[in-house]
Order: sequence, then C-alpha cells, then structure tokens
Amino acid sequence: MNPPDLHALQRGDEAAWDAAFGWLWPTVFAVAQLKLQPFLPDEVEDMAIEALEQLVDKVRSVKSVEELKPLAASISHHRAVNLLRERFAKKRGAGKTESLDAPMDEAGHTNDPVSETSPFAELEQKELAERLRRSLAELKPPQGEILSDFFLHGLRYEEIAQKRGVATGSVGVYLKRGLETLRKIWGRNKNN
Amino acid sequence: MNDERFFDLAMKAIAQQATDVERAELDALLAREPAMRAEFARLQADARLAKDALSLVDATKAAGDKLPAYARGRLQTKVRQTLGHPAAKQKPDQSLAWGWRWILGLAAATAVIVLVALPTFRTPSGPVVQVAMLDTVGAVRGTGTNETEILKQQWKNSTVQTFDQTGPLENWETNWPTGGKMTAKVIYDRAAGEVRVVLHKGDKSQQKIFVIEHDLATTMQEAGNFIREQTKR
Repeated sequence: MNPPDLHALQRGDEAAWDAAFGWLWPTVFAVAQLKLQPFLPDEVEDMAIEALEQLVDKVRSVKSVEELKPLAASISHHRAVNLLRERFAKKRGAGKTESLDAPMDEAGHTNDPVSETSPFAELEQKELAERLRRSLAELKPPQGEILSDFFLHGLRYEEIAQKRGVATGSVGVYLKRGLETLRKIWGRNKNN
Repeated sequence: MNDERFFDLAMKAIAQQATDVERAELDALLAREPAMRAEFARLQADARLAKDALSLVDATKAAGDKLPAYARGRLQTKVRQTLGHPAAKQKPDQSLAWGWRWILGLAAATAVIVLVALPTFRTPSGPVVQVAMLDTVGAVRGTGTNETEILKQQWKNSTVQTFDQTGPLENWETNWPTGGKMTAKVIYDRAAGEVRVVLHKGDKSQQKIFVIEHDLATTMQEAGNFIREQTKR
C-alpha cells in the first residue's frame, strides 16, 4: 500500500483519509497490542481507533508523509501507557486484593508497562515519534532485521546468518553497529 | 582476546545463548580484566534498550491487519468535524476557472478568425497591372498564342486583353480604375514591335516605351522592373 497524499489529508479529503486509515491501522493496532495485550486485551482495538482519531487532530502539523507512521505509533503508545496507568491507579485506589504484580518473564524480570525505567516514559509524544522516524530511516536492511531476529525473536548467530544470507562472522558486526545506532538515537542524552 | 570475540561472547551470554564453554571463557575474561565488566554492563543496558526500542520500531512497520469496517464511519466523522469538507471550498474556484477558460477560448477564436480573414482585407502592396495586346496584323495571328502565354507568364495576376483595332484599345487605355491606387497598363503592340507601359495614379500619368530588341519575354521583364521601380517611390 502506498503512502497517502499528505496535502489531501490536510485538506480533509475523505478518499485520502480512507486510504490513510487502512495504511496506518496495522501500526496503531500493533503498538496498542504491544502495550495492552498482556493486561487489557479487550481495549486494544478501541485504543487503536482513538489513536487514529488523535492523529487527525495533529495532521496539519505534519511536514512530510514519512512522519505519519511514527507519529501514529507514538500516539498509540502514549494512549496505551496512559490507560494502563489509569487502570492500575484505579485498582490500587479501590483497595482490590488481587495481585498488582505485573507479569514476569522467564528470567524473573518484571514486565511493568508503566515502569519509570522505561526509556520511553519520559519522552513526549513528538520526541518519541521523531526517534521512531530516525530508527526507521537509519536501521537499513538487513541491520534492523538482524537486530530484531536476535533481541526480539531469540535467534542464534547461525540461524540469523542462514535466514538473512550473511556470513556467521558478520552477524556480530551487524549487532554491534546496530546497537551503536540505537544508542545514538535512544540514548538518555536527548541531544543525540 | 579481541573486541569482536568479547562482544560476541557478551551478546550470547546476555541472550542466554552461550554454551558452557563460551560462558566460562567470558567469565575468565571478566575475572582477568575487571575493566571489561563496565563494558559488559553497558552492553546489558544496550540490550534492554534494543528490546524496548525494536519492539516499537517493528510495530511501527507492521502490516497486514485490516481496519474494522465499523471504525471507518467513526473516523470519517472525525475528519469532517476536524478538517471540514474540501469539496465545498473548491466550488468557487471552479467557477472562476471556467470564466477564465471562456475568455481564453474567445481570444483564441478571435485570433484564428483574424489570421484567416486578414489576407482578404489586406490590399496588395503592388500596383494593379492591366495587360493588352494590339494585334492588327492578322496574317501571323497563329504566333499570338505563344505571345499571349508570355504575357500571362509575366503578369500572372492579370487578364490579357487582345485588340485587333486601335480604337477599342484607346478606349481601354484611357479607362482607369477608381480608388487612387497606382495602376499600370502594359500594351504590347505587335506591329510596332514595342511594349508601352503607362502608369497612372490620381491625376498623374507617365509612360515609357520598351522596344523589343531581343525577345518579348526579356522586354516584358524590363517593363516589369520599370513598374516595380516606379511603385517603390
């Protein structure tokens, strides 16, 4: 699916928006699902729709069509995190006895979605969108794919090499350069 | 141990993919070089950052899911409420555009008409030339056809009048068109072997006689040159 015509969107062209909603839906849905699926799976779809509605409010401030998806993702992320905070706060305030512990992963680490240690907790919506846009632009194939294979999907060096058609010895090089890029974009120093 | 080897061992250990041998190698290195522990801690932080960021980056690139049909109407309502209707705003522009189209079309049509009709309104720059041949010698009338052709060749836009008597020729010769434009009468007198050119404009006239020395065609060209020279003045 091709990116939409930004000027048509900013004019309120219904046909352009119809195409844009279809183009953006997988992004907002996937981000909402990432944050809410473990805790509030029934809220994922509504949250994604609300993210698109909020994007309509912001479209006139967008300068290029490349900003749309990162902005949509950022909106979806923030709305999901806010919803989680709200629901967790309600539970604590209501004195419910059910466990407030967030699910733990296999290593015993807490997957707390609203943890202040999250690198995105302090980022504003606009800044998160900009970092996402840079990540998409700077992690060129196959670097971004190799990083995901290793850190998200747990593939081994040999498996990544076979899947991506690269030498086993070069997987580490891709990972090292990729981490440097991510550190540069997402590091604590906002001047990066 | 080089940096690359350390990095690979660290990554495998962080991802819990290291074999027992690899883990032992890394532990031995960290024990031997405590400074590498800080680097290992940094890589652990990088790995956590990578997991968080890559989850979001990958989600941003997601494809495949389809927008629920019920959501479409709700979202389009939002568009109308927030951004308005672009079609309503365009209508005045369309009428203005049509107005300009009419004006341009009319101007183009006028230009075409002027270009087509212009030649009919344009008056010839040269004089009106009338041509006559006086052939009083009837016996050699057969050769007159060739001479008539020569006259027609030289004066393509003129009709060649043929007279066999001087009286009608004189009447023709004094009958000038009105309008004030210069008129030339070219008279070929076969018997005299000469071409007489009479130029007339307004109340002024002038005449020149060209004796046929070589041939009629050459003399006609001389007469034509004379007429052109006189009309340029």
